[in-house]
Amino acid sequence: MKRITNALLTLGLIVPMLVFSTVTKAQGQVEELKKEQDTLKENVSTLRDKISGVEERIATAEGDLAKLTKIKLSGYIQAQFLHYEAPNAYPNNVFMLRRVRIKFQYEPVNGVVFVLQPDFVPGNITLKDAYVQLNDRWLKTFSITAGKFNRPVYEVEYSSSSREVPERSRVIRAIYPDERATGAKLEIAPPKLPLKVQIAVFNGNDGLTITDASGANINPVNNDFDNHKDIMGRVTYTFKLGQIGALGIGAHGYYGAVKANTTDLLNSDYTYNKSLDNIGKLIKKNWVGFEAQLYFDFLGGLALKGEYIFGVNGTPGYTSKTTVTGPQVVSNSKNDTLFLTTTTSVTTNSRPAIERNFSGYYIYLIKNIGKHHQIAARYDYYDPNTKLASDLIGVNKYNGSVAAKTVDTYTYSGTNPVIATNAQTKTTVNNTLNSGTADIKYQTITLAYSYFFDDNIKIMLGYEIPMNKKVAVNSKGVGNVTSSYTVNGVPGTLDYSSSINQNTLTLRLQVKF
Amino acid sequence: MKKLKTKIGMAAIVLIALLGFAFMPAPKKITVKGSDTMVILAQKWAEVYMKSHPQAVIQVTGGGSGTGISALINGATDICNSSRPMKQSEMDKLKERYSSMGVEIPCAKDGITIFLNESNPLKELTIKQLSNIFSGKTRNWKEVGGPDQDIKLYGRENSSGTYVFFKDNVVKADYAASCQTLPGTAAVVNAVSKDKFGIGYGGAAYAAGVKHCAVKKDDKSPAFLATAETIKSGKYPISRYLYMYLCNRPTGEVKAYIDWILSAEGQKLVTEIGYFPAR
Repeated sequence: MKRITNALLTLGLIVPMLVFSTVTKAQGQVEELKKEQDTLKENVSTLRDKISGVEERIATAEGDLAKLTKIKLSGYIQAQFLHYEAPNAYPNNVFMLRRVRIKFQYEPVNGVVFVLQPDFVPGNITLKDAYVQLNDRWLKTFSITAGKFNRPVYEVEYSSSSREVPERSRVIRAIYPDERATGAKLEIAPPKLPLKVQIAVFNGNDGLTITDASGANINPVNNDFDNHKDIMGRVTYTFKLGQIGALGIGAHGYYGAVKANTTDLLNSDYTYNKSLDNIGKLIKKNWVGFEAQLYFDFLGGLALKGEYIFGVNGTPGYTSKTTVTGPQVVSNSKNDTLFLTTTTSVTTNSRPAIERNFSGYYIYLIKNIGKHHQIAARYDYYDPNTKLASDLIGVNKYNGSVAAKTVDTYTYSGTNPVIATNAQTKTTVNNTLNSGTADIKYQTITLAYSYFFDDNIKIMLGYEIPMNKKVAVNSKGVGNVTSSYTVNGVPGTLDYSSSINQNTLTLRLQVKF
Repeated sequence: MKKLKTKIGMAAIVLIALLGFAFMPAPKKITVKGSDTMVILAQKWAEVYMKSHPQAVIQVTGGGSGTGISALINGATDICNSSRPMKQSEMDKLKERYSSMGVEIPCAKDGITIFLNESNPLKELTIKQLSNIFSGKTRNWKEVGGPDQDIKLYGRENSSGTYVFFKDNVVKADYAASCQTLPGTAAVVNAVSKDKFGIGYGGAAYAAGVKHCAVKKDDKSPAFLATAETIKSGKYPISRYLYMYLCNRPTGEVKAYIDWILSAEGQKLVTEIGYFPAR
């Protein structure tokens, strides 16, 4: 019994001790857990702060990135090898950079676009495009462009990076030199209608070479040359031909003028038209063009494109007057007379302005073969003077020159001795314009093959065959139009009474991004 | 001699057979790229078609309608899926590159659904209200009859056709800067399902786990939910076609695949996925 009692007492002592020990241990653990919880809370709080910080940084970075997405960069480089077959070409084979362009486009807010496109061709860095475009945000139909941009014409607006042959057609190069012009344009293009209307006002003299008597270009920076503003308009409409393709048709008109820069105006056939009141009077630059593009799905893409343009294109002349007053010569040839002689030479160098009637057209046939190959053929025709038959080129001319004429004027004064003052004036007028190379019509065949290595790289092999219309031969058996040249000290003559080989082979590598 | 002739004959047959084998066209892989809205549908089409046509290999990827159209112009895909019509500028690029206007094939109809969180008491919105909300002019739900809480906007990235369609036809202005852009309608749905005061938009096929908001053309018009009937009848104001684009008229295996998509069998899958047949 005693043993049992002792055992119970011992148990009674041990159990509370055990319980106490366990409770103490548990309390310790709880405290540790609390500490851990506090640490975790702190850690979570720290992490939260860090995440907030990261979120803020991401928001800032997103904001910056959003600004960057408003800037678009594109561009292309065309490196090419050319081989000229013309006898007066030297060097006749050359590597060159045709285009080195980067286009910067910035759209700060929806509908407002700034575009800047310099051309970095070595030795001739120029600004090709610089304009701001405001797009109507509500109807998405209207846009206004102001600055320097492409003239609204099919072959001009069609980028050379996409063109299927090396160069634009001769008529377009002649009437739209440099492609771009400075002015403003309104474009109407309803989003649900395949119609586009473009109306533009330009200075009108961009790219024109206007020479003075010395032959220097007096329009080198393409600032405006006169007060007249040229107006252009173009309308295009595309008909969908089901799943077969589409037909686009359009027309454009140019209503412009340029300062005559002389007082004599000739007709297209070099006959005298009229005398202008002053050299600031205007001569016509008016023409219209009709275009069509047919896209046809025949074993892959097939396109037939063309445009016909005709009208009047004025070429300004020049007038310059030089007056040279000679030194006074005093002589006393007689006892009672003193001669005081003043010699004045007045020379007028003029070239009359001319309004030429012209016409030209081009036709492209393009076939895409698979995704990588494209072949193209173009026939283009340009007659810069439709009023002058080929046999009259070099024959018709204007000569308004006046041979040197001298007038003596004597003034007497005094009685004894009599003093005579002799003023001598010599007047010469050079004022001619001959028909010639500027009036010769050309037919040009261009053949090209393009290989699209990928979306960025294109390799083109092109061959251009210009054919001049032959002019008549004179009594000496030589063409009425000839042009002299010297290559490496060896003189030569291009005689336009025969076909002159002016063919050019182009091998071009284009990288676009 | 006879043996030699036989041997030569046999060798010739083997050679011809080997050459024939060597030049036998490998099964052409059809690549499909574009709209994220259409990616589930396009994958389903490809999966079912490849089962019934074991020789066909079809690879489907998303990226957005704009990305798909760029890939078509680049020659990086055979078929482009787009949840918006091709823009004139994109068509011009196609003309310049391929001398072709491209081929547009409407293959399904969709209604852009407005997603709200399930706890949001709002039931309907007008197009004008949606425009104000997504352009940032309306910033609090209270202004359109909801709780006094800030509106959280969820939308798509600018390469998405849904982004462009919604912008052009509903917002008609720039999206608010606060609109969080997400890669795909599924991500938009997921975000709205977790955000009590969120609102998003996307294809009808993705609208699980969120509440659909009925849309009214204007204050006086009745509100419609995006259903097969309202989209087909044109009553739902934000309905659109889903397109496939090709550079040229399809031929061979691509033609066979597209014909199948437009067949009753292909169009049945359109309904199964949650869109509506094109015809």
